[in-house]
Amino acid sequence: MNADENAFRDETAMSAKSATHCGRIADLDWIRALYELGQKAANGAHPQQVSQEILEHIVRGFAAESGSIALIVDGTTDQLELAAGTDLPSGLVGKELPRGTGVFGHVVATGHPVLVNGNAAQTGLPLRGSAERQRSTHSAMCWPLQVAGRTIGAVAVNRAETSPRYTPDDLEQGQALTSLLALVMANHRMHVERDARILELSTLNATMQRINGMLEDAQNQVIQSDKLASIGQMAAGVAHEINNPLAFALSNLGSLETYLANLFALLDAYVDADAAIGVAGHAALGAARKLRAGVDVAFLRRDTADLVAESREGLLRVKRIVQDLRDFSRGGAEEVRQTLDIHDALDRTLNIVRNELKYKAHIVREYGALPEIECVPSRLNQVFLNLLVNAGQSIDGVGTITISTGVDGDEAWIAVADTGCGIPPENLNRIFDPFFTTKPVGQGTGLGLSVSHSIVRKHGGRLDVESEVGRGTRFTIRLPLASASGPAAVSDVEKRAA
Amino acid sequence: MSSLLIVDDEPNVLSAMRRLCLNAAVLPAIPSPSIVTFTSAGDALAHLDAHDVDIVISDYRMPEMDGASFLARVKELHPDSARIIMSACSDIDGIVRAVNHAGIFRFVSKPWSDPDLKATILEVLAHRRLLIENRELADEVRAQRDVILRQKLELERLERESPGITRVSWTEDGGVLVEE
Repeated sequence: MNADENAFRDETAMSAKSATHCGRIADLDWIRALYELGQKAANGAHPQQVSQEILEHIVRGFAAESGSIALIVDGTTDQLELAAGTDLPSGLVGKELPRGTGVFGHVVATGHPVLVNGNAAQTGLPLRGSAERQRSTHSAMCWPLQVAGRTIGAVAVNRAETSPRYTPDDLEQGQALTSLLALVMANHRMHVERDARILELSTLNATMQRINGMLEDAQNQVIQSDKLASIGQMAAGVAHEINNPLAFALSNLGSLETYLANLFALLDAYVDADAAIGVAGHAALGAARKLRAGVDVAFLRRDTADLVAESREGLLRVKRIVQDLRDFSRGGAEEVRQTLDIHDALDRTLNIVRNELKYKAHIVREYGALPEIECVPSRLNQVFLNLLVNAGQSIDGVGTITISTGVDGDEAWIAVADTGCGIPPENLNRIFDPFFTTKPVGQGTGLGLSVSHSIVRKHGGRLDVESEVGRGTRFTIRLPLASASGPAAVSDVEKRAA
Repeated sequence: MSSLLIVDDEPNVLSAMRRLCLNAAVLPAIPSPSIVTFTSAGDALAHLDAHDVDIVISDYRMPEMDGASFLARVKELHPDSARIIMSACSDIDGIVRAVNHAGIFRFVSKPWSDPDLKATILEVLAHRRLLIENRELADEVRAQRDVILRQKLELERLERESPGITRVSWTEDGGVLVEE
């Protein structure tokens, strides 16, 4: 092969005597235009079109009739693909060429340029194809395109018989150009590749972002469940310690109240008796009367009543918090699941809060068709109550609370929407956190929504929220219709809580 | 009189409950309550060795002996006593054990509601009284049945000795009518 090749080079060198001028390849304008074409790809031009334009430019530059560019397919060393061609049967561009044959195959394999004048078959080149394809070539040149010592493809130009044949000088002159051409092609190729990579990366990026979001959601859910479970555990531990003092303090307040009533009744009797005795009275009464003048009995009576009532309220608040906290630790295993008509339950809960909501909101019920759902009715009612009370509290003045239900795939959904003040975005992901509240002191423990969240999760469902400040908030409970699948996802949480 | 024995390791709970039970102003009132309290289950058992009570109320979680074990011992000593367990924590296993082994009448969670607790005590007292009365009546019936049985045997014996003697007809003035 090497011997053949050398012989061929010798032959081509000999036939180079009849030198002809080779066109405009030495023109600076021509060279600049070539560069500009190479840059076109960077500006988003269609890659195939640019390759074609570059080729046409080359064909003009070498005063050729036709030409073609073949590039090595990425990831291979010898697989060529026709990147551009003039005067070629349509559909050939983009097609792969048979490996290791033809002038292109030879040039790419050897890395040396070739000049063919006359019958190509006589050159000893490993030509391909049928007999017709072996038709006599008038004159053709083919150079390898090399960048940094690596062959990326080859370019060829052909002259028709009406034109003079190319000479070895032409081949050599062209050789100087091909490194430039190779750079342009490589550049062009890189642009194309870069664009493809960018597209690929941005799709990848979008996918990653989506997966990240999903992971974040899942993680938040886990964190939330963990947080609730650990709070529940802690609450169960301290409940005993808190409930005992709470028990005697509350009970003592009740006793104190009755004692005070007795004392005040006794005092009244003495005051009445004193009045009956009149101005004179017994000498011993003097001290008592003096003492009484300095004490505002009416105030004491009023304020001790307030004091007891307020203290009791405080203790009851503590009691409620402990109870709510303990709800986190309840696995729900001890609670009996029953089938529940959700609409019935909603109506009953509405009856309970009717008084509270009467002057605040117009209630709209948009019940869809719901099958009965297996659940712990008391716990689910607790969620409904929480959401309805919250909705009412969010409304300033008079608004509307819409309760809607429906089925979505294998889930039942129950939504409570209000036209209230809405929740600012920065608070949206904190509303299920235990103790997070924006309500005034004493109006909310910050546990209602986290308890609700925990209950819904224990039912294998989820509690979603959408809110817009000034427009209102919508909470949506989603519960699995097939109850059997329900607790599976939750049993881990329950185990941790237990 | 209603006698109550209360056990809780927390003295303040004991005094609050004592106040509550003695205070007739918090309804319902417990009729003439007599109350003994202990902070230790062991001391309470020592007391119960020598004394009878109507109702025993015990906390569930106590250091030396839990309420369920304590009330199980009380049941052995005084099967007629009514037993109530109180708890500040919802320890389901413990409560189940208490109900099954100590024959608990009621479970009360802490903090309790004063009227509810007193109503529970009265209810348990009434229930216990009914049970005791029921048993006393049953005993009475059984005793009477014994007397009747004894008399019947005596009559049979007399009849065997002197046939016809149990079928004697008496006149209004105590005379015996002999059928010829």
